[in-house]
Amino acid sequence: MLRLPAVSRAIAGVAHSKTCLAPSNNFRTSVRASSNMVEVFVDGKPVMVEPGTTVLQACEKVGVQIPRFCFHERLSVAGNCRMCLVEIERAPKPVAACAMPVMKGWNILTNSEKTRKAREGVMEFLLANHPLDCPICDQGGECDLQDQSMMFGADRSRFTEGKRAVEDKNIGPLIKTIMTRCIQCTRCVRFASEIAGVEDLGTTGRGNSMQIGTYVEKMFMSELSGNVIDVCPVGALTSKPYAFTARPWETRKTESIDVMDAVGSNIVVSTRGGEVMRVMPRLNEEVNEEWISDKTRFSYDGLKRQRLTQPMVKDASGQLVTTSWEDVLTRVAGVLQSVQGNEVAAIAGGMVDAEALVALKDLLNRLDSDNLCTEEVFPMAGAGTDMRSNYLLNSRIAGIEECDVLLLIGTNPRYEAPLFNARIRKSWLHNELQVALVGHEVDLSYSYNHLGDSTQVLKDIAAGTHPFCEVLAQAKRPVVVVGSTTLQRADGAAILNAVSTIAQNARASSGVEEGWKVLNVLHRVASQVAALDLGYKPGVEAIRNAPPKVLFLLGADGGCITRQDLPKDSFIIYQGHHGDVGAPMADIILPGAAYTEKNGTYVNTEGRAQQTRVAVTAPGMAREDWRIIRAVSELAGVTLPYDSVAEVRDRLAEVAPNLVRYDDVEQANYFKQANELAQTVDQTLLAEPLIPPQVSVKDFYMTDPISRASQTMAKCVKAVTEGADAIEEPAIC
Amino acid sequence: MFLSRTIRAAVSHSAKQVRSLHQSAVRAGAGGVFVHRDTPDNNAETPFEFTPENMKRIEAIIGNYPEGHKQAATLPVLDVAQRQHGWLPISAMNKVAEVLEIPPMRVYEVATFYTMFNRQPMGKYHIQICTTTPCMLCDSDSILAAIQSKLGIKVGQTTPDKLFTLSEVECLGACVNAPMVQINDNYYEDLTTADIEQILDELKAGRMPPPGPRNGRFSCEPAGGLTSLTGPPPGPGFGVRTDL
Amino acid sequence: MAEYVNLVRRAVGQLTGHGGVRGLLLQFFRANDIKTGALVGVDKYGNKYFEDNRYFFGRHRWVIYTTEMNGKRTLWDVDGSMVPAEWHRWLHCMTDDPPTTHPPVPKKFLAEVHQINVSGSAEQYYPYSTTRKKIHEWVPSKAGDQ
Repeated sequence: MLRLPAVSRAIAGVAHSKTCLAPSNNFRTSVRASSNMVEVFVDGKPVMVEPGTTVLQACEKVGVQIPRFCFHERLSVAGNCRMCLVEIERAPKPVAACAMPVMKGWNILTNSEKTRKAREGVMEFLLANHPLDCPICDQGGECDLQDQSMMFGADRSRFTEGKRAVEDKNIGPLIKTIMTRCIQCTRCVRFASEIAGVEDLGTTGRGNSMQIGTYVEKMFMSELSGNVIDVCPVGALTSKPYAFTARPWETRKTESIDVMDAVGSNIVVSTRGGEVMRVMPRLNEEVNEEWISDKTRFSYDGLKRQRLTQPMVKDASGQLVTTSWEDVLTRVAGVLQSVQGNEVAAIAGGMVDAEALVALKDLLNRLDSDNLCTEEVFPMAGAGTDMRSNYLLNSRIAGIEECDVLLLIGTNPRYEAPLFNARIRKSWLHNELQVALVGHEVDLSYSYNHLGDSTQVLKDIAAGTHPFCEVLAQAKRPVVVVGSTTLQRADGAAILNAVSTIAQNARASSGVEEGWKVLNVLHRVASQVAALDLGYKPGVEAIRNAPPKVLFLLGADGGCITRQDLPKDSFIIYQGHHGDVGAPMADIILPGAAYTEKNGTYVNTEGRAQQTRVAVTAPGMAREDWRIIRAVSELAGVTLPYDSVAEVRDRLAEVAPNLVRYDDVEQANYFKQANELAQTVDQTLLAEPLIPPQVSVKDFYMTDPISRASQTMAKCVKAVTEGADAIEEPAIC
Repeated sequence: MFLSRTIRAAVSHSAKQVRSLHQSAVRAGAGGVFVHRDTPDNNAETPFEFTPENMKRIEAIIGNYPEGHKQAATLPVLDVAQRQHGWLPISAMNKVAEVLEIPPMRVYEVATFYTMFNRQPMGKYHIQICTTTPCMLCDSDSILAAIQSKLGIKVGQTTPDKLFTLSEVECLGACVNAPMVQINDNYYEDLTTADIEQILDELKAGRMPPPGPRNGRFSCEPAGGLTSLTGPPPGPGFGVRTDL
Repeated sequence: MAEYVNLVRRAVGQLTGHGGVRGLLLQFFRANDIKTGALVGVDKYGNKYFEDNRYFFGRHRWVIYTTEMNGKRTLWDVDGSMVPAEWHRWLHCMTDDPPTTHPPVPKKFLAEVHQINVSGSAEQYYPYSTTRKKIHEWVPSKAGDQ
C-alpha cells in the first residue's frame, strides 16, 4: 500500500521526534529512531507505535478504548475472553487486539460492522452461562460485564437453554466467591502467580466444565489477596466483609493515604452515612501501582470498634469515667502548668500525622521540655538521625525496578511492606533482579540467596571476605535494604555502620552515577519518617532512664513503656483513637481522630509527603489531634500560633519544608559522611541472629491499634492458623 | 378444563424448549468433578512414592527438555504416576509437582484437563467402550449390554472386586473394526457379545487375551476378505510388451 | 327563700366540712375544689371516693387522692392512674355499683397491688434501637481488674 499522505506524515514524525530528542543528537540518529516506529491507522487515524505494540495498545494511544475482560495492563496477556476482537482492514478474520502485535500499515477498524458483530457474538457467549443476578450482586454498578454488555451486547436474548452452575469455593475470610458468575478470564489466576507469587489459583477441568479454583480445599494465602477483587471483571470474586453492605453509586469516595505500614499506599475510602464502607486502591505508579495489601483493604472495620469517643478521666477509685472536654482540657493544662522543664515528656506512636507531631513538639518546647520521642527505635550513635539519608528508603520504591542486585538485611518486606515486596517480585520476575537476604529465612514469594542469619555474615560482607561480595562487586546498580527492626537491637548502631559500609563499598565497586542511592532503611510505621524529620528522638530509652512526672502519649500503642517503668505518682495523658495498649494505663484520655477522619500529612519510608483527607467525621466527641493540642496549649497559657490546618502546615514548612511538598520526594545525601561518622561508634555486633518481628503470615494481620481492633483481621489470623473452615460465616455469605 | 389444557400445552412446549446440550465428563466416568474432595482412599496422606525404576524413567523424561523447563514433563510424568498406581490420587499429583518443582496447582490443572487421567479409584482393567456412530451402527449397544450384564455394573462404575471399571467413550479411532473396546492399553475389535464375554472371562481368570480383531482378519483388512492384491505379487516383466 | 337558706347551708358545709381552715386550704389547693359529698368508699390505698348527685353528670363522682401510695409521696404529686381498676369503673360511670357493695369478681389478671403510671419517672419504658451501632466505643476495664 503506497500512500502519499503517509510519507508526509512520516516526515512530520521525523521532525517531531527530532524536537523531542536531546539537541546533541544529530539528524541521522533521529531518523533511525523514528524509522524504527511502525505506522498504523486506527479508524483511519494514523499513529506511530513501536514494533511489537499490540493492536489494543495502539488503539489506546489514539484514545480508542477496546472492550476487554481478560487483558490487564499489569498481567501477562492471556487472550482468552475474545472480547477485544477488532477488524483489521483486508484481514480475513477479526483478531484479538490484546494479543496481536501490529504490523506496518494496518488499518484497525474499531467500530466497523464486523467488529461490532464480533463483540456482540462474544458477549452473547459470555452471557450464556452468566447468571442474571445483577440485582443481588455486589459487583453491580462497577461490573465490566454489565457495562460492556450495555455498550456492546445485543438488546435481546435468544437463550433458552439451562445455565451452567459452579460450586462456590471457600478461599478464606476475605474473598467471597460466587463461581457461577465467573467468565474464566483467568485474571485472578495470573494475578496470583505473577504479582502475589502464590500459585494457589488455577483452572481445573475443560470446556464448559472449566472452573477457577484451588482444586483442593485451601485458603488463598497471600498478603495481596484482596486485589483479586478489583481485578475480577465480574462479581465472581467479591469482598466478604463488604458483602451486601453498600452499592458503589451510593458511596462517597475520598482519596486518602494508608497508614497501616510505612509504604503510604494511595487509597480511596468509600463512605456512606458517616461510615467507612470499604477501602480501595488508588493508582500511584511511584508507590503502590494499583495494588494494596490486605491489611490496608480490610482492617477498616477496626475503625468502628474499640474507639475512644469521649474524653475520660480517672476518678478517685482509679476507674476511667467519661467526662467533658472542658474538664479534661483544664485538667491537662493544670497538670502541664504544675511541672516544669523536662519533667514532662511525650511519646509519639506509629499512626500520628505530622500536624499533631509538630503541634505537640511546639507545645512541649514552649513548656521548656525537649523530651519528645517516638516508639520506634533508631540508633543515635554516629550520625544517627542527623543525616536524613540514614533513615530513608533512598532508592525509592520504584527505584527497585532499576536495580540489579538487592541485599535485604534483617527484614521481611513481604509482611513489613507488602507493596515494596511486590515491587521486588516484579523486578525479580521481569528484570532478572538478584536478591540476597541476611537474616531469618522467610518466604518472600520469590527465590533469593540466603546468606545466613548471623551478624557475622554482615561483618564478612562489610570486610569484603564473604563470597557474596563478588556478586555485589559486579552489580551495576546495587541496593541494600535494612529493616528498621534490625536497627532496634542493642547493637543497632554497629549494624547500621556495617550496612552503610557494605553500601559504600558496593557503590564504589559498581561505579554507578552520583544520583543512585544504595543504602536504604525500610520502616514499619507510617509516622516515623515525619517524626524524625521534625526532630523527635527515636526510642523511649531516655524516658525510661529519667522518668518524667507527666507523660504525654500521642497514639503510642506499641507498649514500649508501661506503668511499671514510671514512678507511682507520674501522670499519663493518652491522646489517640483506639483503646488499645496506651489508653488503659492513662489518667486522662483525649479522644483523637483516626487517619480517615482528619487531614493529615504522612511521610512514607522513602520520604514522600502525602496527605490524608477527611472521609468521615470523628466519632462522638473525638477531634483532630492538632486541635486538641492547640486547645490544651491555650489553657496552659502557651497558646500555639495556629488556628487552621493551613497555619499548622505553614509551621511544618518552617520546621521541615519537605513535609508540605506533597507527592514529592525530598532527596537525601551525605552517605559517605554518615558512614565516616558511624565508624566512631562501638563496632561490636551481638551474636544473636537477625530475626524480623513478622516472620510468618499470621504475624502480618494485627500490628497496630486499628488492625488489632478489626474483627476481619482476627478472622484472618484464625483462618491461617486453623484453616479456612474454622471461620463460621453466616449462611448467606 | 380449557385453561388446564392450555397450561399443559404451554408447559410441554417450554419443556421441549429446555435442552440440555452439555454432558459433562462426570457421566463419561473420567474422574468426576473438577474439585478435589478428601475421601478415605484419596487424600493428601494417601501413600504414593515413585518406584526406583519409574524414578529413572522420570529422570530420562525430564532430560528431554531444556534446563529450567521441567514443567514440560508434566504430562508424561503424570502418565508414569497413573501407570504405577492405576489412577491418580491427590498425593500422586503432589508428588509429581514435587518431582518437577512446580506448584501443585499447575499439576492439578493438567490432570483435570485431560480425561485420560483418572482421578478416582479405578479397577485393574479399565474397559472403555466406544459408542460413537460407526460403532453404534455396528451394534456396540449389544456389547455394552453384554458387559453390563456380565459384570453387573453400569457405565462409570467399578466391580466390587476392584477388577473392572466400565466407561463409555467417544471415538477411539478404530471405526473400521467396529464395534470395539479398549481394555487398559489394548484394543479388542470386531466384537460379538460372545467375544466380549470370553475376553472378560479370560481377564477374570488372570490371563491376558490377545488384542486385535476377533473375526479372524488381520488388522484392518476388509471385513469380507481382500478385494485386491489377492494373488501373489507378479514378477519382473509383468505387463511389459513381450516383444521387448 | 328556702333554697337560699339551703344554698347558704351548703356553702357553710363546704367551708367547714374539711376539718378547719387548714383542711379547707389543703383541699382547695390539692383538688382545686371544696365541694363535699357522700363518702362512698375508701380503697385500700386510702383514696376516698365521693358522690353528690346534685352536681351535673360527670362532676357528681370524684376522688380525693391519698397522700402516700406504693411508697410514693402523693400529697401534691397526684396522678389519675392512682385509681385502682375496681374503682375506675364506678368513678367513670361505667357502673353505678361501687365495689364496696358489689366486690369485684376475682380475676387472675387483676393486680394485687395497683401500679401507678411510671411515665416521666426513672422506671419509664425507653424504646431501644434495633439498628447496629456504627461505632463501638472502647469500654475501660474496671479499676482493680488488672
